[in-house]
Amino acid sequence: MERSELIAKVNASLADEFEVEESIITPEANIKQTLQLDSLSLVDMVAHIESEFGVKIPTADLGKILTFDALYDYLAEHA
Amino acid sequence: MPDIYQLIPQRPPIVMVDVLWSANEAVAETGLTVLEDNIFVRNGHLREPGLIEHIAQSAAAFAGYGTFARGEEPRLGYIGEIKDCQLLALPAVGDALRTTIRLVAEAGGIRLISAETKVKNEIVANCLMKIFLKE
Repeated sequence: MERSELIAKVNASLADEFEVEESIITPEANIKQTLQLDSLSLVDMVAHIESEFGVKIPTADLGKILTFDALYDYLAEHA
Repeated sequence: MPDIYQLIPQRPPIVMVDVLWSANEAVAETGLTVLEDNIFVRNGHLREPGLIEHIAQSAAAFAGYGTFARGEEPRLGYIGEIKDCQLLALPAVGDALRTTIRLVAEAGGIRLISAETKVKNEIVANCLMKIFLKE
């Protein structure tokens, strides 16, 4: 999958799941703040990513994925 | 499988899991036989809070299996959220519950699990549950 295609799919999928405007999802944006994730709902994003993209994000890696750009990189590496 | 008291921190009369039948990193199966003196039994049936507590303790036993394997004490768990919950029947005294717990995802100390409880191969409850395990 091309990176631009991956970015489009990730953005559309997360915007739909977490009910935010897709336009606020930018590469540099903080994932937790943008998707309004708290300590309870962060696990929902991990589950959604695994369900939609088949990529499991271990807790040890999750702490390094702060921005959407980091998420795109992670998915590109592990998909 | 280890004794259930090695896997969960609860003690009688609030123990709602008798046995961990099987477990690996992704899935576990637990059991509970409903007894007349169970604190969640009213009029011969296990009430809704008892089913929920059974699922929560099954999830705790699942987590406890991991800590037991590492030689650690079982950790207290707190229910953070329950969703997509269906309680389809109230088990009767004497019924044997068999519950399958699957780890859906884990992040920041929160475990998202799916649970399905059966009695005689009939589903009596299912739900998604978030469990926070205290360090």
